Amino acid sequence: MQTEEVIRTAGLSKIYRSGPVEVQALRGVDFSARSGEFIVILGPSGSGKSTFLNILGGLDSPSSGQIRFRDHDLTALDEAGLTRYRRDHVGFVFQFYNLMPSLTALENVALVTEIARAPMPPAEALELVGLGPRRDHFPAQLSGGEQQRVAIARAIAKRPDLLLCDEPTGALDSTTGVLVLEALSAVNRATGATTLVITHNAAIREIADRFVRFADGRIVEEQANAQRKRPSEVSW
Amino acid sequence: MVISALHRKLGRDLRRLWAQALAIALVLASGVATLVLGQGAVASLSDTRAQYYAQNRFADVFAEVTRAPRAILGEIEAIEGVLAAEARIVRLGRPDLPEMAEPGALLVVSLPGEGRPGGGLNLLHLRQGRLPDPLAEHEVAISADFAAAHRLRPGTSFDVVLNGRRHAVTVTGIALSPEFIYALAPGEMMPDPARFGILWMPRAPLEAAFDMKGAFSSVAVRLAPGAAQTRVIAALDRILAPYGGTGATGREDQTSHAFLDAELQQLRAMVQVLPPIFLLVAAMLVHTVLSRLIALEREQIGLLKALGYGRREIAAHYLGFVAVIALIGIALGFAAGAWLGAGLARLYAQFFSFPFLVFSRDPQVYALAGLITLAAALGGAVKAVRSVIALPPAVAMAPPAPPVYRRLSGWGAGPPLRQSSRMVWRHLAHWPGRTAGSCLGVVMAVAILVAAFWSEGSIAAMISATFQRAERQDAQLSFVADAAPAALHAARALPGVLVAEPFRAAPVRISNGPRAKRLAITGRPATAQLSRVLAPDLRPMPMPEDGLILSEALAEALALRPGDLATVDFLDGRRLTRQIRVSGISLGYVGLGAAMEIGALDRAMGDGPRLSGVDLALDPAQMPAFFTAVKATPELGALSLKARTLTRFRATLAQNITVMTSVFATLAGIIAVGVVYNFARIALSEQGRELASLRVLGFTRAEVAGVLFAELAVVVACAQPLGWLIGHGIGRAMAAAFSSDLYRVPFVMGREVYATASLIVCGAAFLSALAIRGRLNRLDLIGVLKTRE
Ligand SMILES: Nc1ncnc2c1ncn2[C@@H]1O[C@H](COP(=O)(O)OP(=O)(O)OP(=O)(O)O)[C@@H](O)[C@H]1O
Ligand SMILES: [Mg+2]
Repeated sequence: MQTEEVIRTAGLSKIYRSGPVEVQALRGVDFSARSGEFIVILGPSGSGKSTFLNILGGLDSPSSGQIRFRDHDLTALDEAGLTRYRRDHVGFVFQFYNLMPSLTALENVALVTEIARAPMPPAEALELVGLGPRRDHFPAQLSGGEQQRVAIARAIAKRPDLLLCDEPTGALDSTTGVLVLEALSAVNRATGATTLVITHNAAIREIADRFVRFADGRIVEEQANAQRKRPSEVSW
Repeated sequence: MVISALHRKLGRDLRRLWAQALAIALVLASGVATLVLGQGAVASLSDTRAQYYAQNRFADVFAEVTRAPRAILGEIEAIEGVLAAEARIVRLGRPDLPEMAEPGALLVVSLPGEGRPGGGLNLLHLRQGRLPDPLAEHEVAISADFAAAHRLRPGTSFDVVLNGRRHAVTVTGIALSPEFIYALAPGEMMPDPARFGILWMPRAPLEAAFDMKGAFSSVAVRLAPGAAQTRVIAALDRILAPYGGTGATGREDQTSHAFLDAELQQLRAMVQVLPPIFLLVAAMLVHTVLSRLIALEREQIGLLKALGYGRREIAAHYLGFVAVIALIGIALGFAAGAWLGAGLARLYAQFFSFPFLVFSRDPQVYALAGLITLAAALGGAVKAVRSVIALPPAVAMAPPAPPVYRRLSGWGAGPPLRQSSRMVWRHLAHWPGRTAGSCLGVVMAVAILVAAFWSEGSIAAMISATFQRAERQDAQLSFVADAAPAALHAARALPGVLVAEPFRAAPVRISNGPRAKRLAITGRPATAQLSRVLAPDLRPMPMPEDGLILSEALAEALALRPGDLATVDFLDGRRLTRQIRVSGISLGYVGLGAAMEIGALDRAMGDGPRLSGVDLALDPAQMPAFFTAVKATPELGALSLKARTLTRFRATLAQNITVMTSVFATLAGIIAVGVVYNFARIALSEQGRELASLRVLGFTRAEVAGVLFAELAVVVACAQPLGWLIGHGIGRAMAAAFSSDLYRVPFVMGREVYATASLIVCGAAFLSALAIRGRLNRLDLIGVLKTRE
């Protein structure tokens, strides 16, 4: 399966400076992902996973190194350019959902489709995560797992090229986590969005095409799976 | 150590929120300053006047006669309750100064305390030079304002026309007198130092000029403490009646004192109505703002509790935070209030030509302002801290239960809003208390601005009614003494006179049972065109055949209505007492007024047709010739020019009100800016997380700003109408508080006032938005992803 390369980094480094203290969050990360790939990112706490994902998503910029999205050099983009990039190409799912409490499930999805170029209908995105019947409920009326699925629907409704998920199951129990991962997996197949998922659960790597392991700001292990398991088949 | 860590947090919080803390402090300071400055100015002026009166022995009772022998002075001094009496010669003279194109007048008064060193009443305060030598015929002291207007200095000589004869005088001193703080020429509405002054000179030349050898024309009486003024006045009137006494009056009817009182009453009204409202508004706003600010600290409070801090320590921490802000505000308010109050008092003191100014501060006012402010600020903090402290730490650390947003039937589904607009709408609708609080803050900001500008329309209305609709003459000649009707023809014959209309002014005492007022009834031709009496609806009133028209203020003071009989004691001529029916109520803004048809007045007085003066319409091209002719004929009396009166009106009443208004408007502006800025900042804190999430989702800076600003705009827009309404109410109360016997202030508020107030508030909102724009651009996008709400 040879598909187009979507994102590539080379020698990506990130140094946080506050006063005299320097924290090297990333130390030269080389990475690339192809269209439609499902990649799981593992690694101990503080190893730079979130930092890496945030830079890929245009939320942060690297201190040095290259990052290319298709033919575009992300490091060359200014604030407005990065906003444009996020808006058109990136979908995010976070540990804490970050839904708008004042909007219903459907409206939370519509919030993004309204500003996207070629979105799917918000209702269709909710169907994809199995929440069609709950479309008119507000976040406060949904469980954590349901809220996370709304967040996934919101992230994929714009048909992003990149779907970035930072510990999407971190706040959920295993049963609910499975539901969320099922949704991610289904969405990845249905939309062909390159999907990166950070998790602390090593077992989850089996549902991916490939997994990378971070330690101390570097990728220390990288391995492709011959076969993707269904999330329900994984035991955690 | 526990305390020092919390202290450090307090310091950091203050530094982090410095702009907001400063805005709150400024709002508080403005509230405190208005109260302190107004009270300070009023107290300073009242105390200054009291001290001036006491030091210079200002008389308590005044009486005028045609000519009375000095021999009866002993009789007057013997009246029970009289401490001292002074017989004076007071007459009008005319200055002959080359640069005075328009003829003016001087009130010539014999020197106080003459012949009795250190004695006398209404003592002069010398600004420059020395008092005239009682034995030097040509030496005079002159009132300071007139001297300043004509650059007269000790040593300057000029001519005064006394009783038709020219008299050379030399100025030896420039003086102030408690009797003429407000120097109003007879027949004039406004003091005009360029055209009217006071000249004090030795008795001998006055006796000679006015045929007053051994006689006097005016007496001033100082009462013993506790003396009954009414009884002294009655006794005085009995003694003076045979000599043409027109009735003694107390200070309350003495022109200078009465006008000064009216001014002080206006000032008092200003400081009694507006500042408490300002202070309360400021207190209320700060209360709301601080309680919301602390509600934002909810999680931190929960955390402090979880860490083992006691309620007391936590409460003390936040109260300390608030107290620091409140104390800075109070200190600023005290300083600004004291400074502005002194400035205002100085301005008025200058306007009134007080010889000195006593700065008075009422510590009670300071204490009150400080306490109210501190209580409001701490109250806001206590309310918020208490509600959070009451929660178990675990609950407090979690975010407040999200509002259960509901689709309100008909709303949610209704307008095809964009989702971001829907967020704005739902925020506003689902936190009604918070929305109402913000709205109310802006409402009050608009209201106090409207109220601060209340006087503009009122002054314009007074000017237009008085000077354009009622008084349409170019000039008014008041004869030295009432003249025969032929004087009208003489006036018509003056160069430049286009129209001349006669009037008669008869000094009277009008009473209704125990209520009585002294004033002059003006008689006018039935079809007067130059000087008209206006009905309350501003239409000219025809003069009834007989019957009396009273101004609203007078009718109110005497409790008389059309159809009632008023008792009129004529204080002139045959001194008849008549019952005259009140036939109408007229509009009158300055002074008390009563009018009759001139023929009816003549009949009522029973002494045949007489004229007190004429109203004139003049040909502008021939003004110089007219002035020359009037100057050459002193017996024509005093000339009052409408254009100058209007100028003076604008320069005095209008100016004093304007200064006050600007001060209040500035403070109201600060409050408005502080309020709007704070609400914007708090909205940012409350919604920072959502806004940052929007940015992560790919919303641009402008779009995210739009969400916050739309909310601000809705609140600001909704607040306007109610703000106008409340401001209108406060303005009306101000106009009512301003009205006195001498001024009746109409309440007219033009649309431009509302527009100005709204413009200032919207401008404040715009600037706040700009200030917050920077913070919006610096939203921490990654931070919001790491933390739970
Ligand atoms: N804003 C920041 N300022 C300073 N240091 C930071 C900042 N953000 C992250 N770091 C540091 O960078 C390093 C990598 O952080 P990152 O959040 O990427 O770790 P992570 O792998 O996502 O950990 P976890 O699994 O706990 O989420 C950490 O040592 C962290 O302390
Ligand atoms: Mg992380």
